[in-house]
Amino acid sequence: MIETIVNRLLLSIPVLLGVLILGFVLVQVAPGDPARVLAGPMAPPEVVATIRERMGLDDPIVVQFMRYMGRLMQGDLGRSLISNKTVISELGAAIGPTVELMFACLIWSIPAGIAMGTLAAVWRGSLVDRVIMAFSVAGVSLPIFFICLVLIQYLGVKWQLLPFIGRGGPLWTVDGLRHIALPALSLGLIFIGPVARMTRSSVLEVLRLDHVRTARAKGLSERAVILRHGLRNALIPVITLIGLQAGYLLGGAVVTETIFSYPGIGRLAVGAILSADFPLTQGAILVLALAFILINMIVDILYALLDPRVQKK
Amino acid sequence: MTCNRSLIGALVASTALMLPTLAAAQEITIVREVDSNNYDPQRSVARAAAEALFMMGDTLVSLEPDMQTVSDGLAHSWEVSDDGLVYTFHLKEGVSFCDGKPMTADDVVFSLKRWIDPATASPVAWRAGDVEDIVAIDELTVEYRLNAPFSELLYQLTQSFGTIVDRDNVEALGEDFGIAGFNGTGPFCWVSWAPRDQLVMERNPNYTWGPSFYENQGPAHLERIVWQVVPEASTRTVAVLTGQSDITQYVPHIAVAQLMDAPNVEVVRSDEAFWTYFMGFKIDKDPVADPVVRAAMNLAVDQEAIAEDLFFGMVEPAFSYVSQAVVDWDPGLDDRLLRHDVDEANRMLDEAGWERGADGVRVRDGVRLAPTAYIFAGSTWGGIAEAVQADLLKIGVAMEIEAFDATVAWGKLATQEFDMFGMSFPYITAGETLNLYFRSQNVPTPNRMNWIDERTDELLRTGMAATDQEAQFAAYHEVLGKVHDAAVWIPIFHEPMIIAYRADMAPVVPHNNYGAGLYKGLDLRFLD
Repeated sequence: MIETIVNRLLLSIPVLLGVLILGFVLVQVAPGDPARVLAGPMAPPEVVATIRERMGLDDPIVVQFMRYMGRLMQGDLGRSLISNKTVISELGAAIGPTVELMFACLIWSIPAGIAMGTLAAVWRGSLVDRVIMAFSVAGVSLPIFFICLVLIQYLGVKWQLLPFIGRGGPLWTVDGLRHIALPALSLGLIFIGPVARMTRSSVLEVLRLDHVRTARAKGLSERAVILRHGLRNALIPVITLIGLQAGYLLGGAVVTETIFSYPGIGRLAVGAILSADFPLTQGAILVLALAFILINMIVDILYALLDPRVQKK
Repeated sequence: MTCNRSLIGALVASTALMLPTLAAAQEITIVREVDSNNYDPQRSVARAAAEALFMMGDTLVSLEPDMQTVSDGLAHSWEVSDDGLVYTFHLKEGVSFCDGKPMTADDVVFSLKRWIDPATASPVAWRAGDVEDIVAIDELTVEYRLNAPFSELLYQLTQSFGTIVDRDNVEALGEDFGIAGFNGTGPFCWVSWAPRDQLVMERNPNYTWGPSFYENQGPAHLERIVWQVVPEASTRTVAVLTGQSDITQYVPHIAVAQLMDAPNVEVVRSDEAFWTYFMGFKIDKDPVADPVVRAAMNLAVDQEAIAEDLFFGMVEPAFSYVSQAVVDWDPGLDDRLLRHDVDEANRMLDEAGWERGADGVRVRDGVRLAPTAYIFAGSTWGGIAEAVQADLLKIGVAMEIEAFDATVAWGKLATQEFDMFGMSFPYITAGETLNLYFRSQNVPTPNRMNWIDERTDELLRTGMAATDQEAQFAAYHEVLGKVHDAAVWIPIFHEPMIIAYRADMAPVVPHNNYGAGLYKGLDLRFLD
């Protein structure tokens, strides 16, 4: 197992390096001038030029990248051009809310997706199956911003059940729970679809296997057969999918956080990009990439734990 | 049974979750579109900074909602020497900062000198005038000494840049002043700031020195204000409609009618907002160097249609370069303003020898009437520029639009690459606008028109140094006439201040100083 973890960690290094290079190049080619941002809109050209020189923006891009990597190695991500706060403190303040949002999303959508997929498999071909599959297809197909706006329209505006602006507080407070409900619901709806579909096909496949037939022959109740012998074995590919989809959820969180004015890493990244806050943009890209790598690593490890054949390979 | 209990428990929990939390009665949430880069009054020029700084701090003098009358602030009275070079301010007694430390004349001197100190690099230091020195005569008296008279000084001192700050606070926080904290003398005190998210401030319980034009001079009625950034226009609108926000001045034009119809929302509008959108010309560049071309282009643009179609009638079509409601506007110009008249525009161009080519675009001496306009990227300027472009095509002018992100645009607008540009600006007086945009020394920016004229400079110097209003206005009126006659801008619209707020709040009086609609927030309160 330790070997598996070490392997995954080593494999992450080139991926992270690739992301850093790509992120750095993208920020360089994006429109906007960090020196102008720092100098302010009314600053004369000579002041902007001085700042450019001071920041080393006239140096070749390779030199700038090496300088950036050098600072990064020392844990220095620089300061936000807009707020002058350290990038680390800005990212630190935003990571917590995003983790809460991910947690609030996954805590209900994973069980819901698995339950829906299992029900659809058990009642294959029935009305329940069709409704669940239609719902899943809608969840996969509809863009996240549309789901957000529909939920705001009904749960926020028409019935006025839930707030749709800001964070309200930590997740364990009532206000925090109320504020996170709609973003977590929106994000969860796009997550349920793939999980339900994968669970359905996986459960159907497992239910056909010999050990399930044996369990039935032993006289076990259908509920016990499905839950103990069917679903348990069907979950391995589902977990893989959950890991992959959790990574993509970060992308969904960017949109969701922006629409709900939720102060997480996604909204921070959008704000940084729109205001040409380059150090913060690079920091946000780094954090999102790290999160993606970490999630995939956890999935790989979980997969190895659940299926010993993977370790042997 | 267990299942039923769980179900009931879940229902109770979810119902409790959906019940609105009991908000403190005297707390409001104000939603706005953008945040400021910082809350250092001498360093930030953002409107978002001014909105909060007016509440967290005070200036020596204040501006009444009519945008013309200078009133008391931290100074209860002031005198100006006959030569206009010395302003003596007498400070109110008993003023203290939020941390309880008394505010003295030394703090005033420190703050105003910090404004003009080159080390501060304030982009608006010019607004403080040509200062010889600022001196504390005693604990409650400050002398503001000028090298040259500055008739705009009192108006400029009402702006957030002149906010009095606490020297100890500035020195203790260093680069983080206005980022990690701000100790002011205003009706509200800094609590916390999460950039791009929210700024929280609480009532200053000791505040009793508010401007006398306020019904309530302090303490404020509200206990706590949360400034919440909501970039999405539709989300801001429904936030006010559903009571999740109590007040906003960032109302999308398309939503004003909807908000006016809502029974739980009040909408108030002020046309004395003094924020004007215009397109300017580089007057020394072909093809717009010809004053006839510029005048014809002015006549071609249908400001009323733009106001109606793009902004749903919620802005005031502009024909003058500043609002005709400013204190130093020249009413004699009213009849000379260029108004929409396509036939006259075509006639003028025909007469001037600009002939239409095969593609309908006019040409003269090989010069094609196809100016390039630089604008800020985004829906507001995109819409305006496209409407102007369509209007100009009717007279054979093919304006080409190039849009730039704001972080690039300011640099681009300091070059000589373009023929036209789009811009908007806040102001208090015509004199302020003319001194900013039309002084020769301000080429290439903010005098992007390359308007270099000795007589204008002389008149602006006269207006600025005038110690009597008649001479000041006479000078500014002449400059207003010169630039309007030369058609150096195409005025597009004056943006009014529109504030939407909960119907159970006392009527809100819109203020407009630097576009900060709620100004000091002293009269904001819920109805009994």
